[in-house]
Amino acid sequence: MSSNRLSRGLNGKDLITVGIFSAVYFVINFAFMLLSALHPILWILMPGFIAVFSGIPFLLMCTKVQKPGGVLLMGVITGLIYFVTGMFTVIILVTFVIACALAELSRAMMKYASFKGNLAAFVMFSLGMTGSPLPIWLTRDSFFAQISSQGMPESYIETLKAISSPTMLIVLFAAPVIGAFIGAYIAKGMFKKHFIKAGIV
Amino acid sequence: MNKPSCLHIDPRTGLLLLVMSNILAFIQPSFPLELGWIIFLCLLTALCGCGKAAVKWLLVFGLILCLQFYILPASPKLIATGCSIFANYTRRMLSCAIVGMLMVKRTPLRELIVGLRTWHFPQKLIVAVSVTLRYFPAIREETGYIRDAMKLRNIHGLQKVEALVVPLMISATSTAEELSAAAVTRGIENPAPKTSVVELRLNAADWTCIVTGVLFTAASYLTS
Amino acid sequence: MISIENVSFGYSGEKGTLRDITLRIKDGECVLLCGESGCGKTTVTKLINGLIPHFTDGCSLAGKVSAEGLPVDETELYELAKRVGSVFQNPKSQFFNLDSDSELAFGLENQGADPAFIRTRLKETIQNLQLTSLQGRNIFSMSGGEKQLLAFASVYTMNPAVFVLDEPTANLDEDAVTRLGEQIRLLKRQGHTVIIAEHRLWFLSGLIDRAVFLKDGKIARSFTGAQFFSLPERERIGMGLRALTPSSGSLPSALPCGTAEGLSVEGLTCGFGREEPVFRSLSFSAVTGEVLAVCGKNGVGKTTLTRCLCGLTRERAGAVRLSGKLFNRKQRTRAAFCVMQDVNHQLFSDSVMGECLLADPDCTNARAEDVLNLFGLLLFRDKHPMALSGGQKQRLAVATAVLSGKELLIFDEPTSGLDYAHMMEVSSIIRKLAKEGRIVLIVTHDRELIHCACDRVLEL
Repeated sequence: MSSNRLSRGLNGKDLITVGIFSAVYFVINFAFMLLSALHPILWILMPGFIAVFSGIPFLLMCTKVQKPGGVLLMGVITGLIYFVTGMFTVIILVTFVIACALAELSRAMMKYASFKGNLAAFVMFSLGMTGSPLPIWLTRDSFFAQISSQGMPESYIETLKAISSPTMLIVLFAAPVIGAFIGAYIAKGMFKKHFIKAGIV
Repeated sequence: MNKPSCLHIDPRTGLLLLVMSNILAFIQPSFPLELGWIIFLCLLTALCGCGKAAVKWLLVFGLILCLQFYILPASPKLIATGCSIFANYTRRMLSCAIVGMLMVKRTPLRELIVGLRTWHFPQKLIVAVSVTLRYFPAIREETGYIRDAMKLRNIHGLQKVEALVVPLMISATSTAEELSAAAVTRGIENPAPKTSVVELRLNAADWTCIVTGVLFTAASYLTS
Repeated sequence: MISIENVSFGYSGEKGTLRDITLRIKDGECVLLCGESGCGKTTVTKLINGLIPHFTDGCSLAGKVSAEGLPVDETELYELAKRVGSVFQNPKSQFFNLDSDSELAFGLENQGADPAFIRTRLKETIQNLQLTSLQGRNIFSMSGGEKQLLAFASVYTMNPAVFVLDEPTANLDEDAVTRLGEQIRLLKRQGHTVIIAEHRLWFLSGLIDRAVFLKDGKIARSFTGAQFFSLPERERIGMGLRALTPSSGSLPSALPCGTAEGLSVEGLTCGFGREEPVFRSLSFSAVTGEVLAVCGKNGVGKTTLTRCLCGLTRERAGAVRLSGKLFNRKQRTRAAFCVMQDVNHQLFSDSVMGECLLADPDCTNARAEDVLNLFGLLLFRDKHPMALSGGQKQRLAVATAVLSGKELLIFDEPTSGLDYAHMMEVSSIIRKLAKEGRIVLIVTHDRELIHCACDRVLEL
């Protein structure tokens, strides 16, 4: 008698697996988040950088938890930690939930076991971090009112307007897409070289 | 974690203060209200036993104001453009960060879990978040061991990245297996509502904080 | 009452991990499952606590298992958890919480028990197991022995009828092992059924009612407790089991410092940050050709000493000399190697051969193959290091040290969890390394290993 119990919901082992890989994802995410505090352009590109380097824990989690809900959980955990520690506004939770919902859809459509499906999911998921710099655009007007009242020279204001222009908004969303492709392929390479050979997937 | 002589706020109060700080970050209160809120939060931080941190936050606030009004307008373009968005953002988020740091330092994880449970957060989410938070110190420990081993094996440059990542992931995988076994054999999948020896009750201090927060939020909204 | 009837089991892709096992355990009995590595004793424990089949995907199971009247394959794990408590061997990965109080209450909180009842049970547990020093502590600040004690206590609080212990002494020092023995005695007095799968046997004398010896997945022999502990030496070695009585006899102590050919440690004081030094003015020598055992209770400074000798920690005072020359921290890192307790942290390449070339980029394939052959790893040259067994990984780590020409080798608990044959294997490798002119130190609690492999003892 063989026992192959694949219940549809996330069981204890799935939750713990997601929790552990979320911790690893968060550490990588946080490291790049700190680095990007140096300049607003870096901050806008930050979701892209994170995507390049965080493919491994994400894809490992996908391989181990081939059920709906894993990605959503990972996104919500990351967003929650950033929200509760006061680093980002609640917008990050909103973007993560939307991004993860799209990611879960991709996985469901591609039946959870394909690399392409996980790649699509990772692209969607990586868009979740855009909620961090997004307030730059959401509070644009009050921001400019404030800095002109501080006595900033006109040319500076022009540069700042350029940074928060609609073009940059496109860059904000494009960077994680490109980054996620790179990150997923790096992860695939590592899977082939190490993780599959070592027998952990 | 908690000194007996200090104030101790309920984790739910902390979360409510956080939400209110978030609202204020978007509403942009007038300067007197903004200052008032920050002073209130620093006072709370000090009463909860983090006096030094409270002073540091006030200094940070002062520093940001100096940056915004005096230093940056007179700085070369690159620095001014680089820092002004950051300064603006930090100033808005300062109150959130103060509450966040207070929660991290003074709220034990077990209380936060019980707090989330009383607010009917899904149990599965609570389990996963607990595991994530519990695994952070383990990551630090593992990274330490792996780096020691790398020193002994004389591993340099870019190799270091691969050498760190692979054992870390493999260790994460086996910990997930072992921790799950230890958790399910102690009934973590039991659908019955979980109980706790920790009892949370909102006391006078909690209500004072919540009411103060509501007043500030309402005032900011009305004067915006 | 545990009943295992005609059970055959195989992990996915394998056959015959267990073959036609029939075992009945009465209430209140204390049964030992023993045998060589891979004989199936851990697998049998998983049958009892339900990890097989609920936790194991894609395996094949035939036969019936029932625990406390419940059919294991049809009962949810959380229902079984109320009656069967499990303690595992790795203290690091058994804790769900960050603090000890939460961990103790974990099991009952999961059951949804009344908080007043949980508090009463906690008080009882702390009293019965003498745990006052473990209350209100951060788990990451606890020693290995304390962690294992906490893991045991966490299960004890749930008060299951049956206790399943899977190699609980793997990482413990002698004091902690004796303490565990006391706890098992307490369980017996209170009428619990105890099943324990173990390599280390000496502490169970007088505690077990029955010993079941497994070989290749079958129950080969069965003894009463008394019969088992009176097995003659030759027979138990033939069965591949570790010593049945605590090892006696002592070795000469370490030489004083100042040796010209080997390691000389002079007045070494080490500590962390601004805390009190872990040890002060330690002086000893370890000469080439001899193997020095480093012993002491947990927390006395063995790990600190190891790290200091390898140049991973700075010394506060004193000097370390190799062959008479003073070696500073950086030089020590180049000259020393430590085979760590968890060897998974030390292997970095994607093939065994690659690992050798990483250790010595200039070495020829032929030399690498020679060394691999010496350690019995040549067959695995293309395998990923992490896919090897524990013992093979250990030998690979040693091979990398040999290839990189390190003269000082330190082994940190090389035999925890190893059966007799593997312990002897490790012992012969250690002897060979010393004979080839290296300085070898072994940090260990394993008295058997000390007697087989070491010449002198340094008691910290």
